[in-house]
Amino acid sequence: MIAEILEAVFILLTVLMIAYLGRHYIFTLTVLKNSRKREKFVTKEKLALAYQPSVTILIPARDEERVIGRILQRITELTYPKDKMQIIVIDDASADNTGKIAEEYSKLHNYIQIIHRSKEEGGKGKAAALNAGVMHANGEIIFCFDADYYPQKDILEKLTKEFVDPKVGAVQGRVIVLNEPQNMVTRLVALERIGGYRVDQKARDNLGLITQFGGTVGGFRHSLIECLGGWNESILAEDTDLTFRVYLAGYRISYVYDAECYEEAVENWHAYWKQRYRWAKGHMQCAFKHLFKVLKSNNLTLKEKIDGLLLLNVYFMPILVLLSYIVGVPLLFAYHPQWVSICWAFIPISLYSFVGNFAPFFEVGIGAYLDGRTRAQWLIPLLIFTFLYNIAICTKALTDLIMSKIIGKNGNNWAKTLHSGNGNIYITN
Amino acid sequence: MPPTPNPIILVLGTAIFILLLFLPPLLELKKPKDAGPRMISDYSFSASFPIVNLEEKHGFDQALAKKIVDAISVLPNLEV
Repeated sequence: MIAEILEAVFILLTVLMIAYLGRHYIFTLTVLKNSRKREKFVTKEKLALAYQPSVTILIPARDEERVIGRILQRITELTYPKDKMQIIVIDDASADNTGKIAEEYSKLHNYIQIIHRSKEEGGKGKAAALNAGVMHANGEIIFCFDADYYPQKDILEKLTKEFVDPKVGAVQGRVIVLNEPQNMVTRLVALERIGGYRVDQKARDNLGLITQFGGTVGGFRHSLIECLGGWNESILAEDTDLTFRVYLAGYRISYVYDAECYEEAVENWHAYWKQRYRWAKGHMQCAFKHLFKVLKSNNLTLKEKIDGLLLLNVYFMPILVLLSYIVGVPLLFAYHPQWVSICWAFIPISLYSFVGNFAPFFEVGIGAYLDGRTRAQWLIPLLIFTFLYNIAICTKALTDLIMSKIIGKNGNNWAKTLHSGNGNIYITN
Repeated sequence: MPPTPNPIILVLGTAIFILLLFLPPLLELKKPKDAGPRMISDYSFSASFPIVNLEEKHGFDQALAKKIVDAISVLPNLEV
């Protein structure tokens, strides 16, 4: 009886693994196939360049004195017409000189304004800061950039042209790790970013699936944000929440992979844990909130619903991998069929791991290849350790989420990622 | 039923496999040769593809030119 139950559970877990396996391989092959097509700059692109709406850039910043000057200086160098730009820095109760540095730029450039939030108002997370900023926004398109980012000079032109299509409610650009050479952590994070932005997001955009707004290097129609009621302050992954609310409202998000922006990646494993814990817990909150809405929505196609479900549950996958080992290995050893010797059990377990769990690593490999970074592929085996680390992170996140539901506590502590400003040395232009 | 392999060979094989798996990353970390990170290109769209100044070329007045540009800019994306 126990064996039958364990077998049924194991089969279910394997089916879910195969679903994600198929998803990752489809994405990788899609991007590879499309990379061979020459992307033409067609007439519609030229026409779209004539579309230059007024834009507001929101920069939420809390204790970012080491990086805020860099992004504000860069903003002044953007090629977008300054008379159509409004920059709002939300100084979210910073304890350092973030506000002072921002004020210096505001004095020199009249399109930059600063909102200072007091200790009582501020420190409640990025979503709250963005909502405070959007109340002062007057642009037709609202962009969000984190304080540690460093965009291309013409990034706004590339992102705003997508809004010529009335079905586009939001856009997302590509994130590139600036401080990649710093240490092993930054190099592995950069690999993850390559897989995510060069392959995963691009494939989802090409296939007409759910393209995710990543919280930064992206923008929305102002009217849509107002209609949706702004960012949800009760969810840690406010970007994922907004992504699904945009799609459920009947719009789509366009991914512009050549609209590039540098970011500063986390520099140690402790910071990695805090950041990914926040992402995992927030993503799981979104899964609980949007799962049935996605299934029932009349605004989503069947393939969008399938991809939406897989995307919502992606942070549960490391936990399911752990469960599959907990269930599968004893099953194999205690109830193995007669023809399998215990010593040969190593082979099917290894095959399952390599083909199933490591499918995302193929995205990383192909992403690095397409970027001309074949030497970076040599580091891919080290992603096994980040994967194991993520199993612990996601398990903790789910456990804490369930406990907070049981004891009725919110538990949404926004653990801010501290930026050192070490990325400055890698900027050569 | 397949024969049970020699445990020593199994352990040795596993060790060699792990060594081969992690040799490339160890080499790259010891002597990095990767060119990354990807350099952001900073060319300007408007400089590469200038929009014709109708006023200069055909003697149109600016208000008419603006109306034409505004009309074109709201056209939907017809490409499928």
